[in-house]
Amino acid sequence: MRGTLGYAFVLGGLLCAVFGAVVGIVGGLRRRPGTRAWVERATLGFFVCMLGANLTMVWALIAHDFSVHYVSQVGSRTTPLVYTVVSLWSALEGSILFWGAILGTYLVAFLRAQRSSRERTVELGLGAMLGVATFFAFLIAGPANPFGPVFPVPPDGPGPNALLQNDILMVIHPPMLYCGYVGMTVPFGIAVAALLDGRLGEAWLNALRRWTLVAWTFLTVGLILGSWWAYRVLGWGGYWAWDPVENAAFLPWLTATAFLHSTMLQERRRVLKLWTLSLALASFSLTVLGTFMTRSGIFNSVHSFTQSDIGPTFLVFLALVVAVSIGLLAVRGPQLAPEDTLPGVASRETAILINNLLFSALTFTILLGTVFPLVREAFSGVRVSVGAPYFNRMAVPLGIAILFLMGVGPSLPWGNASRDVWRRQFLVPGMAGLAVLGACLVAGLRGWAPLTTFGLAAFVATVTLRQLFLPALVRMKEKGEKPWTSFARSAARSRRRTGGYLVHLAVVVVFVAIAASSAYVQHTTGTLAPGQTLSLSGYTVRFVGLEQGEEPHRHWVAARLDVTEVGGAHGSLAPRMNFYERSTDPVGSPAVSSGAFGDLYLTLLAFGPDATGSPTASFNMWTLPLVGWIWWSIPLFVIGALVAAWPRRRALPVVDTEPAPARRSAARGTA
Amino acid sequence: MSGWSLAALAAVALATAALLFAFTSGFGRDPHEVPFILKGKPAPDFTLARLDTGEEVTLSSLRGRPVVLNFWASWCGPCQAEHPTLARAAQRYQQDARFFGVVFEDTPENARAFARPLDPSFPQLVDPKSRMAVDYGVSGVPETYFIDAQGIIRDKYVGPLLDAQELAGRLALLREAGGPGARR
Repeated sequence: MRGTLGYAFVLGGLLCAVFGAVVGIVGGLRRRPGTRAWVERATLGFFVCMLGANLTMVWALIAHDFSVHYVSQVGSRTTPLVYTVVSLWSALEGSILFWGAILGTYLVAFLRAQRSSRERTVELGLGAMLGVATFFAFLIAGPANPFGPVFPVPPDGPGPNALLQNDILMVIHPPMLYCGYVGMTVPFGIAVAALLDGRLGEAWLNALRRWTLVAWTFLTVGLILGSWWAYRVLGWGGYWAWDPVENAAFLPWLTATAFLHSTMLQERRRVLKLWTLSLALASFSLTVLGTFMTRSGIFNSVHSFTQSDIGPTFLVFLALVVAVSIGLLAVRGPQLAPEDTLPGVASRETAILINNLLFSALTFTILLGTVFPLVREAFSGVRVSVGAPYFNRMAVPLGIAILFLMGVGPSLPWGNASRDVWRRQFLVPGMAGLAVLGACLVAGLRGWAPLTTFGLAAFVATVTLRQLFLPALVRMKEKGEKPWTSFARSAARSRRRTGGYLVHLAVVVVFVAIAASSAYVQHTTGTLAPGQTLSLSGYTVRFVGLEQGEEPHRHWVAARLDVTEVGGAHGSLAPRMNFYERSTDPVGSPAVSSGAFGDLYLTLLAFGPDATGSPTASFNMWTLPLVGWIWWSIPLFVIGALVAAWPRRRALPVVDTEPAPARRSAARGTA
Repeated sequence: MSGWSLAALAAVALATAALLFAFTSGFGRDPHEVPFILKGKPAPDFTLARLDTGEEVTLSSLRGRPVVLNFWASWCGPCQAEHPTLARAAQRYQQDARFFGVVFEDTPENARAFARPLDPSFPQLVDPKSRMAVDYGVSGVPETYFIDAQGIIRDKYVGPLLDAQELAGRLALLREAGGPGARR
């Protein structure tokens, strides 16, 4: 029954999406009056249907309705409730269903934000987005239908993948990442609409930038949470492995970041229009590529879902998206010619241009490394693997160059800089960078990559803090305001700028944390009997004994360890192995002691009685300096993005700059 | 639009087309599969002692009849599960192929205790320090190699061979010596 209901919702959603896409694009292109209302209704219909389908699935999961295909695959009577609900996105079909709900929510949000705008780009944009929705609804209705019937109905199911019910981060990491992925649909729709419409003024730029920023923020948080999840669950003492699917999520982040910078050039100088639009379209294409990589079953990755038949369908969609993007850019290209020229080398414009080149180079490098094994095998039949060394060798210098530009760009003025500016802007930050570099050398730290990163980080942090606080300082002097008031007011006056610099600070934090944790990681292993100890960089752990316990869906064995830090602080850690009823291999749970300056990370490798029958346990032990700062930077990223993107009170969307005409009755009817 | 921009777009289009083509060739393939480079190559020769009698067995002296090599260990549950299937096949197809077990990373005592209740099935060989397993590229146990009458490795099976039909099919392929060993 639930299966039929859910499938009816899916078919309804598909119908709405097809109808809205056709009406939106045809109506928008022919400038038919009155079609907009129908597109809005179709959008709302799609949203309601997708929400209904998802709620039906959650209901079926909670009710353990094993007559529904998806529930019979991931459900289990012993799984705790929270993981039962979360299993909505723990396997292929459910994750695409969930995708549909997020897409519906985005479309309705876009509709609301643009409600007062009468531009036909809104109609065209909704049409393009519903075109994307059509594809996903088709996937859910056909190749990845989660609501199919199961007969005979099994009494119980296998439960979700053991790795996915091991950590609470699984509850928020995938939705965040999906919100980032799906969110790129909106900028794609806006860009397609602007290109279809042919009026390539600046009207669409604000909406494009803001919606990209929304998706970018979710993607950033999703990526960092994903690395945190890997760190807490997978137990290999790291957080980023250049896995194809990690790369797949990183690629659109890179192009979206480049886009957020190149829009500044387009606003200021009316240059790089073609390039900026290309980045917006590329970001969406790369999210589709990333989804394809995760779900086609042709990549070897910790993330890949089981082998499935949706790969070819996805590939056709990917080809279509790229073809439409390139076709539109080629047709409209002549209208996207630059209206101005760039100033000389020493200008912020040039810094942003180089930033874009570096981001593109990084995107290309990572894309190449990710797909190279497949391409090589397709063309020569030889299977190779591209490992972390390639990515590190390529990404580290490019990353350091980007960090350098983060300090140089904001220091340079728009337009040509005078010699004087150079000295005034770079003296203090440069000294700060050199001072930190010297301090690190004195402290005995070595290695060119981490030391360069630390020095540059100090340089960039100084530049950024000055940019953040200088306007406030000026206000304080001129108007005699209190520090906090003057900062709040100066920030409110230029929110995009303030938000951008807050994000820059967060990026500096992440750079330092990555450099420190990857360059100065320490590792040891050992097999201990009770009472024996293992020491590593200031930490000593003493094996106390084995513990075990039962939970409804698993049983576990833990090794209790007493931890003594160099300062004398005491603690206790217990890395575990979890045994799930329906999983052949045990799933480890590392134990992590997090501190402001670094983490102690322990995993249980093996346990058992030795020849005399007393318990022994083997451990992996790591110390990772500053690693926690990677995830603790999330609030700073979010605050910065919110400051930059929060809609201004009283302000209307930029697409609304025309004199406000009387509202059409049709639009009001659906609002 | 400048010629450069058009050229760039065309290049992106071409690269994407090539990429999509590469992806299509990935369908229906298991990315977790470990490549098997010895397939179709002469089997590395070995001389190993039998677990029970200590008598030496040399692969090259067995030319003319196909050989089935099964790597196992007493600590490996799936090996225990597949052993009856192999033992029955060794007797049933003794005209067609010679079966050998190879003890992998195990002590002779444990291996003997494991093999005794299952024998007399087929001879087990001891591979000190896993030299021979390394030559064959064994990635884990159980793994079963199929060598034709000319001493060419035709195929290998990773994991427990529980299905007698599956094993019979592979032996039939082996009999058509020189024919390519098809996987599954």
